Parts: sequence; C-alpha cells; structure tokens
Amino acid sequence: MSKILELRNVNKIYGTEIKNQVLYDINLSFEEGSFNSIIGQSGSGKSTLLNIIGTLDKATSGDVYIEGRDIKKMSINQLADYRNKTIGFVFQFHYLLPEFTALENVLMPYRIQNGKVSKEIVRKAEEIMNLVGLEKVKNNMATKMSGGQQQRTAIARALINNPRIILADEPTGNLDSDSTETIYELLRNINEEYKTTFLIITHDRRIAEKADRIVEIKDGKINLDIKK
Amino acid sequence: MKLGFRIALRFLKSNKGQTLLIILGIAIGVSVQIFIGSLIQGLQKGLIDKTIGTSSQITISSQDGNLNTKDYEEFIEVIRKEDREMEAISVALDNAALMDYKENSQSLLVRGFELNVADGIYDIFDRIVEGTYPKNDNEIILGIDLKEEYDMALQEEVTINTAEQKVHSFKVVGFFDFKVSSLNTGWGITTLQTAQNIFATGDVISSIELQLKEDSVFLADEIAENIKKDINREDIKIVNWKEQNESLLSGLQGQSISSYMIQVFVMISVVLGIASVLAITVIQKSKQIGILKAMGIRNVSSSYIFLFEGLILGFFGAILGIVLGLGLSFAFTKFALNPDGTPVIDLYINYSFIMISGIIALLASAFAAMIPAAKSSRLNPIDIIRNN
Ligand SMILES: Nc1ncnc2c1ncn2[C@@H]1O[C@H](COP(=O)(O)OP(=O)(O)OP(=O)(O)O)[C@@H](O)[C@H]1O
Ligand SMILES: [Mg+2]
Repeated sequence: MSKILELRNVNKIYGTEIKNQVLYDINLSFEEGSFNSIIGQSGSGKSTLLNIIGTLDKATSGDVYIEGRDIKKMSINQLADYRNKTIGFVFQFHYLLPEFTALENVLMPYRIQNGKVSKEIVRKAEEIMNLVGLEKVKNNMATKMSGGQQQRTAIARALINNPRIILADEPTGNLDSDSTETIYELLRNINEEYKTTFLIITHDRRIAEKADRIVEIKDGKINLDIKK
Repeated sequence: MKLGFRIALRFLKSNKGQTLLIILGIAIGVSVQIFIGSLIQGLQKGLIDKTIGTSSQITISSQDGNLNTKDYEEFIEVIRKEDREMEAISVALDNAALMDYKENSQSLLVRGFELNVADGIYDIFDRIVEGTYPKNDNEIILGIDLKEEYDMALQEEVTINTAEQKVHSFKVVGFFDFKVSSLNTGWGITTLQTAQNIFATGDVISSIELQLKEDSVFLADEIAENIKKDINREDIKIVNWKEQNESLLSGLQGQSISSYMIQVFVMISVVLGIASVLAITVIQKSKQIGILKAMGIRNVSSSYIFLFEGLILGFFGAILGIVLGLGLSFAFTKFALNPDGTPVIDLYINYSFIMISGIIALLASAFAAMIPAAKSSRLNPIDIIRNN
C-alpha cells in the first residue's frame, strides 16, 4: 500500500513574541485506505495536527506531502480544490451553514465543485443522510437540529464528494454510545468499500481500539504509535 | 458565480430586516436623486419655455433695411438644407407706427406675418383670447393689455399712422395674450400682405425667424453659425437666443451644477452606507465564509458572494427608489399647486435620466461591495475553525 499522507519534521509554533510550541518534529505517514485514530489529552495538539494535514493551517517548519505532492508548492486555488475534492472534513465544532437546510449543507461541497446539483446527487445525499439517521430532519434549517444531528449532518457533508481522505475531529463527540457505534460502523464500511483513508481524533477508547492504528500525541510529540 | 449568487440571496433572505433597511436606504437616495433631478429639469424647461418657447430663436435680418424676395427665398433654401430640422421657419415685416383710437394715441410695432407659418413660432392661434385672426386686408389683432387700457371692443376701427405720414384704417378682429406686457401693449399683428401694402415696401420682409426643434434648442449658436457660413454675406445679421439671454444661461448652468453636486453627494452617501453595512455583513458572516473556504470554495467565488449582495441590494434599491421617486414627483405636481390649480413647478419626467439614476445606483452598489468582497477573499479559514 502506498503512503497517501506524509509529515516530515513538522513543527508548529504559535505566537511570535511569546512562543508556544505545540508540535515538535512530527514524522508520520499514513497508508492509503487505512483507518487511523489519533488520541491524546486536551491541548496536546491533535486538532492542530489535523488542520495542518487539511491545509487549513501551516506548519512553522517541516513538510507535508499529500498523494506525494508537497503542499508548500501548491497555489491557493489548488489548495482550495484539494480541500474540496480530496478531503472530507468533520470539524470538532461541526460548523454547518445556519442559513441553509441540512440537505443543502450536505450538498454544499458538491455545489462548490460543480455549480449545480443533479437529481442523482440529491438522491445520493439523501441516501447518506438516511444512513446516518437524518431522514426526518433533512429539510430542517441547520440551526433547528440537535447537536448530534448537526454532527451527523457534518459527517454526511464530508462524504458527499467521495473524498480519498477523511479528517474527522471528534466526529462522535456529541453522540450516545449506540449512535457512536452506528456511525463508526458506517465510517468503517465506507473505508472498506471505497478505500477511503480515515484520520479520526477521538476521546473514545472503544473507537480508538477498533482502528487499524492508534497514534497518541502527548505534549506535541508522538507518544505511542500502535499498528494492528 | 451561480453559487455566489445563491449564497448571497440566502444570506440576504436570512437577515430580512437588515436587507430591507439597506434597500430602503438605497431607495431613498435614488428617489431623492430622481426627484431633485426632475424638479431642476422641470424648472429649467419651464424657464426656457417661458423665455424662448414662443419667440424666434434664430433671427436673420439685413444690416441695412429689408430683405427682398429673391434674397430671402434663397436664404430659406439654405436653412432648409441644415442638418438640424427646424420646428418653424417664418418671415415677418416689422414697422413702427402710431395707432390712434378715439382720443388715445399709442406707438405700435406692426408685425406682418404669414399667420399659418408664424403660428409655428408664436402659437398665435392659441394666444388669441377673443375674436379671430387677421385674414383680410386691413385687419389687425392687438394685445389684451391695450384692450383693457383703452376699453376697446372687437370690430372697432383704429387708425395706423406710418412713418411716411400715411394714415390707414384698420379693423380690430381679435385680442391676443402673450403673457408678456411689453408684447401685449406694443405689438399689432396683421397679415404680411397688409403690412407690405400700408408701408409701401413692395415684396420684402424685415426678418426670417426660426424656431428649433426641442432637442436642438441649446445648439442655437452652432446652428446660427452654420447658417451664417452658408449664407456667407457681410450685410446679413444673424442673432440667436443664447447671445440674447446670457444671464439666463449662466443662471441655468449654476442651477445644473448645484443639482449635479446634490446628486453626487447623495450617491456618495449611498455608497458609503452600502459599503459600511456590507463590511459589517462580512464580519457577521465570517464564520460561514470560513466554513465554505475550509470546504474548498475559491477566494474569487467567496468574493462573488458580496459582489452579488451589492448587486441584488442595488437592483431592488434602484427599483424601489424609482417607484418612490416617481411617486414623490407625481405627488408634488398633484399637491403643490398654484391658486388656479396648475402645479407650482411642472416636473420634467425624463425616463432616460431615471434609467441612468437607477443604473448608477446599481453600479455604485456593486462598487461599494468591492471592499467587503476583497475582505472576504482575504479571510483565512483557520481563524474561524480554530476559534469556534
Ligand atoms: N491560535 C492559537 N494561538 C496560540 N496557541 C494556540 C492557538 N490555537 C491552539 N493553541 C494551543 O495549542 C495547543 C494545542 O491545541 P489543539 O487545539 O491542537 O489541542 P487538541 O489536542 O485538539 O485539544 P482538544 O482535545 O481540547 O481539542 C493548546 O495548548 C492551545 O492552547
Ligand atoms: Mg481539538
């Protein structure tokens, strides 16, 4: 299997005067189609790492390669397109667009890519939403849903463009253990069916243990890296 | 682009109160502009109409005395060949005379017209408030002011004494009212034929008078210049209304400039208003822009959102503004009336001016949206994603 993601000597320092180093010389690579979990204490640097991989944030030093390409060499538009097509994000604070319905939110990455939506893609969006249990609320405004429903909408949105990589920051943080289980099964199925690579930050030990690999971050360094 | 429009529309819809407020702001600006523009244009048109609407705008005469037939027919031929069509071309034979009525004596300018043609300039037929117009020899019409002063009646006789001490008897067949007292006391109008007879001039006239089509009124000086070139004779004198009314013209110009100033400042305040509101909108919507960027919307597309917001606001603002402006204008002509029921000022509703005002508002809105659009293009998604 090939490496779809690779980090070489990645450092992240916040602040210019009072320097706050959050990541120290991270060297990591992820196989295509693997299902990885990232764990660590609050404040250890997990979200920072994920945002750097997702090209939202920039490493202070070091290199990030995605599908073998150095992201430093990519233009702003290339990065935007890469975020749209190759990556599906599920953010820690789910972040839906409050002016749009759940279904419209799910379709948004597709619209960004194609301008307009076809009947087939709407059907696909509805299927994904059914899978995550949102059939009843798909036409609700994003704000008129529970926290868990919003989170599931964000997961459906990350899946709509069939990305090769899914970066999820505590995607089941707001869900009860049964729903967590269902969502996890769903993600695992997608991983197996489409060979989508998953990087999932989680506090949930049970989820972490079901992954192919567990990476533990501690104080900005890799403390543990267990592959099954 | 389409996505930008969609999102813009949704943003505006999701914040209806604010949207309506900006639209109203633009609309008020546009309506004030239309109202003031129509008012000033109406005022100016009224003034010009009153001043030169019923008088000769270009007058061609000879330096020394009268023009004979051969000359003036040739001149009229030249005038007809001008690029600009004339509203009316009329000839007149003017002579000073003394009029006697009962024991009163009054100096009079006796004007001999071909009445059908002269009507094109002076609206003579409409100006006759009593009686009819002179058709036969030795018929004359006089001003309403003379009638009142001397208590005259229709069909009465007056005598006209020419400079050559000839005495002619005339029948008064009508009274006119030109709304200008010097004309209402000083003019006597008769047929060209009669004038040529009593002053024993033969087949001559004293001047050719021209009225220009409405859209070339302000080109009177150029047209006069062209005619002068074409006629090309030293002894021919051509005057146009602009050289005769310089103070009126500079007054009008001053008025136009102040009207433009008002309109420019109204527009500036509209632009500033939209720009500041949209700038706030970018901040209000920065979370959404951040999310969209994290999902891969390009910077250009994210700036389209605000450009479209500007255009949509400008479009509806302009339309509402035009409706309000026209409403305000019509209300003004309906309710601001003179005692006799005519409007104090006839507004001039110039549809191309109104269209232009609307389009300017639209462009101004798009322009005002540039700053927020640029701001949104610069927004970095990580700042949103990180800071919840
Ligand atoms: N913009 C910033 N400026 C300065 N320091 C920051 C900034 N963002 C994050 N940090 C610091 O970086 C460290 C790592 O933050 P990060 O969000 O990556 O933690 P995390 O592992 O995701 O924690 P959690 O589990 O609570 O989400 C924290 O100590 C935080 O205070
Ligand atoms: Mg985090």
